[in-house]
Amino acid sequence: MSLMSGKFSSLPGEIYMLHILHNIGATSPERALTLEEIARWTAMDPLEAEINLRKLLKDRYISVEETLGVKRYFVTADGIRKVLSMYS
Amino acid sequence: MWICCNITGHLLVIFMNICMLSWEYPPRIVGGISRHCQGLARALAKMGHTVYLITLDFPGAPYYEEDEGVRVYRTAIELGHPNFIVWVLLFNHFMEKKVAMLSKQEKFEVIHAHDWLVAPASISSKHYLGAPLISTIHSTEVGRSRGLHNPDSYLIDGLEWWLTYESKRIIVISNSMRQEVREHFRLPDEKIDVIPNAIDSSKYEIRVDRDDVKRRFGIDSSERIVLFIGRLVPQKGVEYLIMATPKIIEKHPEARVVIVGNGWSKDYLLNLASSIGCQHKVLFLGFLSDQDLIELTLSSDVLVIPSIYEPFGIVALEGMAAGVPIVASNTGGLAEIIEHDKTGFLAYKENPDSIAYGVNKILSDPGYASWLVQNAKRKIREVYSWDAVARKTVETYEKALRE
Repeated sequence: MSLMSGKFSSLPGEIYMLHILHNIGATSPERALTLEEIARWTAMDPLEAEINLRKLLKDRYISVEETLGVKRYFVTADGIRKVLSMYS
Repeated sequence: MWICCNITGHLLVIFMNICMLSWEYPPRIVGGISRHCQGLARALAKMGHTVYLITLDFPGAPYYEEDEGVRVYRTAIELGHPNFIVWVLLFNHFMEKKVAMLSKQEKFEVIHAHDWLVAPASISSKHYLGAPLISTIHSTEVGRSRGLHNPDSYLIDGLEWWLTYESKRIIVISNSMRQEVREHFRLPDEKIDVIPNAIDSSKYEIRVDRDDVKRRFGIDSSERIVLFIGRLVPQKGVEYLIMATPKIIEKHPEARVVIVGNGWSKDYLLNLASSIGCQHKVLFLGFLSDQDLIELTLSSDVLVIPSIYEPFGIVALEGMAAGVPIVASNTGGLAEIIEHDKTGFLAYKENPDSIAYGVNKILSDPGYASWLVQNAKRKIREVYSWDAVARKTVETYEKALRE
């Protein structure tokens, strides 16, 4: 089974990324991920991942927190609703 | 469980422990299931039953709370997976674990599942607890996706069938859904009960300053609001409302289409509004809090529900309770709730011209609008209360316990 099998295999990059972040549980500051970790999970080039993260931040589907100079990203309540709207 | 007999010798359950499973419960609001579960669970608790509501966690919501007598347990999903279906199976494991832990302290008389997303946890709980499983099927994959077109859809359809097969009784929310699940899943008709959705209409019995509400959302006080509320997904048919907008503003330049909700089609809909040159007349507000939603609804002039597929359409009840005239597609549950030209205007499905005609008729004729509103409010009081729905649901539980 692919990561986004069948139903939503042709999603735009940032929405695909949002799905992956949601499904792996990056939905709270405690479980936020760095850009490098997100790039690995989504199998995206870090530059492409960063562009997608910026789009998601602009739409407030993800949020960022910074500790010791490291940025970590997690899905917001609006982002969770965006993902789940596809399945209910 | 407290039991007594009626005069015909039938066992009647007075109070029972109900284990209800749902993937959404406020503030986790994705679609109508969340509000349905809350309304039903609160009404059951008010009747004296003990409701254990097992759901998923959500940012800012506590892991346990009592919500007007409902014991709400929010389960953390401790493991994830990039694939959505695998994620669903994983969270079902954690829900099942929660049910198992609670069952050490409480004996559940019935298990009530809401939709396929909680099917695995509900089915296994039924088997190890030995309690009857009752399922509410709010919609079906074949209906939502207008067919089964890929492996995910086939799997979801299979899970839905499995849930109906394992359930002692099935609840659906409209006659159109009864026909759909009976025919698609080949169920015996006598296994299905139709219990409609309901609404707490007292939430709409407040006074609002319409100009102030409009100002808060960036709408001019002279503009008349043509409201849509719902998920931005194809089944909701928002594109047909957007396509109707030029014909609405041609007759009523003071109209403003206001779209509340979020969903994966949002970008497409924004582009559609731009491509037909009416982006200035279509306002996307995203997801709103319950209070904002109530105030905006009360400040609106027409509520449009342009759905392509709508098993029930709880938003229609919200509009009727708020006293907003409704234009809805003549489909599914909407066609059962709304009587054309009496409690609302039924437009042809997927037809922007028909939607525009209905909206223009309401905006042009205050007498017609007022007639629709009066009739709609009467129907809400008489038919769609949570107390009535909870009583019928308990009857279904009792049937399941007897069979």
